[in-house]
Amino acid sequence: MSEDVKNQTGGDDTIAPPASRRRLIPFNVALVLPAQLTVMAVVVVPTLIVLWLALTDWQPTQGVPWWQADMIWFWNFVDLWYDERFTNAVWRTLFVVAVCIVIELALALGLALLFVEEWWWKRVAVSIIILPMMIIPVDAANAFFMLFNDLGPINHLISIVTGEPFQFSWLSHPTGAMVPIMLCEIWQWTPLMFLMVLTGLMSLPQNQVRAAIALGASPARIFRRIMLPLLSPVIGIAVLIRSIETFKIFDPVYILTRGQPGGATETISMYMYNGAFVYFRMGYIAAAALIVLVLVVSICLAMSRSLKRYS
Amino acid sequence: MTDFGSRLNRRTLLKGSAATLAAYSVSPMLIGRAQAQGADLANVHEYAAATAKELAGGRSITLTILQPSGSLGNVKPVADEFTKATGINFDYVEVPMGEINQKVLLEAVSKSGAFDLALPATFGVPDMVESGILVNLDEYAKKHQPADYQTDSLFTVGDYYKGSLYGYQTDGDTYLMFYNKAWLEDEAEQKGFADATGMTLQVPETWEELDAMMAWFHRPDEGKYGGALFRTQYFIAWEWWGRFHAKGFYPFADDMTPQIDNDAGVAALEELIAASKHQYPGARTNGLFENFEAYGEGDKFANIGWGGTQKYLHSDKSKMKDQMAFGNMPGGMVDGQLLRTPYFNWGWNYVVNAQSTEPEIAYLFSLFACSPAMSTIAVRDPAGYFDPTRPAHYSDQSISDTYSASFLEAHRASMKDSIPDLYLKGQGEYFDELRVAIAAADSGTKTAAKALSDCASAWTRINRRMGRDSQQEQWLFLKSKYPSDVRDRLK
Repeated sequence: MSEDVKNQTGGDDTIAPPASRRRLIPFNVALVLPAQLTVMAVVVVPTLIVLWLALTDWQPTQGVPWWQADMIWFWNFVDLWYDERFTNAVWRTLFVVAVCIVIELALALGLALLFVEEWWWKRVAVSIIILPMMIIPVDAANAFFMLFNDLGPINHLISIVTGEPFQFSWLSHPTGAMVPIMLCEIWQWTPLMFLMVLTGLMSLPQNQVRAAIALGASPARIFRRIMLPLLSPVIGIAVLIRSIETFKIFDPVYILTRGQPGGATETISMYMYNGAFVYFRMGYIAAAALIVLVLVVSICLAMSRSLKRYS
Repeated sequence: MTDFGSRLNRRTLLKGSAATLAAYSVSPMLIGRAQAQGADLANVHEYAAATAKELAGGRSITLTILQPSGSLGNVKPVADEFTKATGINFDYVEVPMGEINQKVLLEAVSKSGAFDLALPATFGVPDMVESGILVNLDEYAKKHQPADYQTDSLFTVGDYYKGSLYGYQTDGDTYLMFYNKAWLEDEAEQKGFADATGMTLQVPETWEELDAMMAWFHRPDEGKYGGALFRTQYFIAWEWWGRFHAKGFYPFADDMTPQIDNDAGVAALEELIAASKHQYPGARTNGLFENFEAYGEGDKFANIGWGGTQKYLHSDKSKMKDQMAFGNMPGGMVDGQLLRTPYFNWGWNYVVNAQSTEPEIAYLFSLFACSPAMSTIAVRDPAGYFDPTRPAHYSDQSISDTYSASFLEAHRASMKDSIPDLYLKGQGEYFDELRVAIAAADSGTKTAAKALSDCASAWTRINRRMGRDSQQEQWLFLKSKYPSDVRDRLK
C-alpha cells in the first residue's frame, strides 16, 4: 500500500483488529469488569494494606507515611500471642456471641410461634416488637446505662420485689457488668431474629403439618419433628447473620463500661478501638484484625458447611 | 596631605555620615530589642506583645488555638489582651477534654496547619514531640525568654522533652487531699481514734495514716463514709502512683526495666485495694464532676483532686465550703524517715504547631499568656480550670477568694515539690496498661501481684516498640528532674 492510500484510508488505525485480539476482552467480561475492579479497589486493596501494616509497627503519629513504615515482620503476632487482653477479649466476645444468640433464638422462636396465626392486632404487635431494632444503638445503650446505674430503677425494682435494700454496682462489677451489656444487645436485636424466624415459619409448607394434626400428633411433637427441621435453614441463616453482627458488638460496651473494670468487659471491637483510635497502633491492630478475620471466617465457614449438609 | 587627610576624603566622609544617620534611625529599635531581651519577668508580656506586633508588621494575622472544652474562660481574656496590644486576632477551636491529645496527634497525619497553638494535656507532649508536630522552642526561648521565666514557675518539668523546650505550663494540676475539718477536729473522734490506732487524728502525713482514718470514719450505717477517692479505671492509677513512689521507688530502673511489680508495688496496690472498702458507694462509677458533687454533700472524710475540685467545693453549691482541711498527697516512711511525693498528674501546656505559618508569633503568644501578669488573669476565671502555677497567682486577692487562702497554701507547697507524671513517649499506653491492671486487682479479677506482673510485661513490650534507647534517654532526663530531696531517696 502506498503512503497516499494509507493517508486516504486513515492508515493502519482504521483496519479492524484480528479476531484473536478482539477476543482478549469478551463482551460479557467487559460488562462485569467495572464491578470487579470496584470490588478489587474496595476489598482487595485495603486487605493488602492491612496485610502490609500487620507486618509493620506503623503509627500515624510517627510522622512517616504507612508505606515507609519499618518492617518488623511477625513481632505483632508474637506480641498478640502474649497479649492477655487481646486473647481475653476474643474469648469474651465469643462468650457474648454464644449467650446472646442462644437467648435471642429462644425468644425469637417463642414469639414467632405466637405470631403464626392471624389475630386482629397482630400487625400492631409486630410493629411494637420490632421497635427496639429501629433505635439508634447508642441511645439504646444509654437507656440501659440509666437503668443499671447504681441509683437506677433496676436496683430500686429489686429492692421493692425483695423487700430488702438492694445496692449493686452493675457497671463496675467484673462479671455483673456483662449482664446489662448482653441484655441491651438481646433487647435490641431479638426483633431481627424474630422477623427472620417468623418469615420462615409463615412460609413453611402446611401439608405435613395438616397431615400430622389429622394423625393426632401433639403441637409439641409437630413443632419438634416437622416445623423445626423444616425451619432449620432459616434458623441457620439467622444465627449466622446475628453471630457475625454480635461479634462486632461495640456500642453497648462503649457506652456502658468502656471495657471496664480492669478490662473485664472489653470485647474485641472495644480493644481494637482503643488500640487504633486512642493509641494509634495501626500496625498492631491490623495484625489483630487479621487474626479476628481468620477466626470469624473459619467459624462462618464451619457454620455454613453444617447448614448446607443439614439442608 | 597628612595621613589623616589622605584617609578623610569625600567618599569616606559620605560613608561615615550615612552610617551615622543609619545608626541613629535604627537605634531606637536596637535599644528597644536590647531592653526587651533584658526585660524582667514583670513586663515580659509587654515585650512579647511588642515583638509580635513588630513581627506581624501590620499584616492581618489570625492565630487559631486548639483547646480543651471549658478552657475558653481562661484563654480568651488573655488572647483579648494580646489582640488589644498587637492587632493579632484569634480563632478558638474547642474539643472535648479527653480527646484533645488525639486531635493534636492527628495533625501528624493531616499536616493541615489547622491550628497554630494547642493546649494539650502535659502528659501527651512527648508523643507529640516524637511525631514531629511541635516546634522546638529552644531558639525562640534563647531569643525572647527572660532568664527567670521558667525558674519562677513552680512546675516546668513537662515543658521539656530530652532537654529541649516544647511548651509552657499553664495549669497547676498537682494532686491534693481534702479532709472534713469538723471530723478531724472533733475531740471525741480524736480520742477514739488515738485509743484505737495509736495515731493522732490530724492531716495525715502518710498513706498508712490516711487509710487508718478512712477506716475509722467509714460508718455507712450512720451515713458516713471514709472517703471519696476515685475507684474508676481512668483515675485509679494516679493514687497507686503516689502510693508506690511513697514507698521509695521509681517506676523504671535506669535500664528501663519496670519496677512496678516489686514488693513495694504489690504492697501499695494491696493497700489501695484495702482502702477501697472505705469509700462511698459511687466511688467505682462516678467520674470527675460526680466526685465533686458527692464530696460536696459533706458525709465523707477524705477526697483527692485538683484546683478544679476546690473551685467547686469552695462554692455555694457545696456543703463543704470552709469546712475542709487540705494536705499534700500523703507520703511514706522510708528508712525511718518521711518521704513526701506530691504528684503533678495533669496540666495543660501551650505548644506551637510545626505546621503553623506564624510559629514565632505563636510562641510569643505562649510567652505572653504564661507570663505572671497574664496568667494571673487566666487563673482568675472562676469558671475555668487553670490553677495557679506562679508565685504571683498566690498573692492575687481574686484568686485567693476563688480557692481560699488555706487551699492555696497547701497547693503551693505541693506544686513546688511535685514529682512529674510519666513523660515518656507512649505515656497513654503505659498508663492504660497500669489502669487496667489496677482496676482488675481492685475488682478482684486478679491478685495484686499477678496484675502488676502482667502490667510490667506489657510495659517491657511497650519499651521495645517505642525504642528502648530513646525511652531510656528521656527517662534518665525525667529522673534528673524529680525534686532533689525526693530524687536522692528513690531507688
